[in-house]
Amino acid sequence: MKLRAIGIRKFLRVSSALIILGLLVEIVSLLWFHPLSFVLFAFVGATLIGLGILVYLASLVFAASAPNENRG
Amino acid sequence: MTGTTEILVALIAVTIVLAAVFLVRPSITAGVTGKILAFVALAILPALCIDVGMSEHMQRSEQTQFCISCHAMETHGQSLYIADASYIPANHFQNHLVPADTACYACHTDYTIFGPLKDKLQGLKRIYMQYISTPPKVIVISGGYSNLQCLHCHAGARGFEENPIHSAMMASLTSNQVSCITSGCHDTIHNADQVGSLKMWSPGQ
Repeated sequence: MKLRAIGIRKFLRVSSALIILGLLVEIVSLLWFHPLSFVLFAFVGATLIGLGILVYLASLVFAASAPNENRG
Repeated sequence: MTGTTEILVALIAVTIVLAAVFLVRPSITAGVTGKILAFVALAILPALCIDVGMSEHMQRSEQTQFCISCHAMETHGQSLYIADASYIPANHFQNHLVPADTACYACHTDYTIFGPLKDKLQGLKRIYMQYISTPPKVIVISGGYSNLQCLHCHAGARGFEENPIHSAMMASLTSNQVSCITSGCHDTIHNADQVGSLKMWSPGQ
């Protein structure tokens, strides 16, 4: 399946879900005072948030390029 | 929870609420306002949360309590309370020659531009050894303890510079050829394995 066929709404939903999940992990890491909390933040929380941002940015690229396809 | 942590948690909560709006109703991005809001909620604020979160975690990892919260560091933490001034870390900690709340960081950080990052990578290596690989029986500093960490504070101090022994070997000390702690001069350090048999100081005694 091509990425453009997925649709911007689905991109936004996936992006939001990843960001929310990452932010919840970040809250847990902030409340947990242990050396592993940094690992949780850096390798799980920040990765999920970063992926969410990338998915959102990808949605901008594909949404913007869609009209060009129709010019024939 | 410190003030910064509270502000960060509030920022995260606001971002979660805004992101949830796009999870439930992504159609609001049809308008210009919705598009701007989406950019703020799904790009600007999450990036800010990562940045402030990283800064908060870095600051937190400088605290003495953070270091000794690791099981392997418990006896090293206890060694700061040894009631004997000849123990260098205990003397520095108890007399506030280093900030008590960041005592480990004060003597063990690498005072270079990328020092804190290097320290963090070392910490991650320790975590790997503790939880995945095999933890060492005796904890040693990789590459040895550098004199530069002592000289960061002591260099230029009158008591240090005017000491004839120090001034006679200053070049060897600054080039790390002669170690401050393993050359027989200031060799009583944490000695964590002796903690149980030594008299301890308790604050407020």
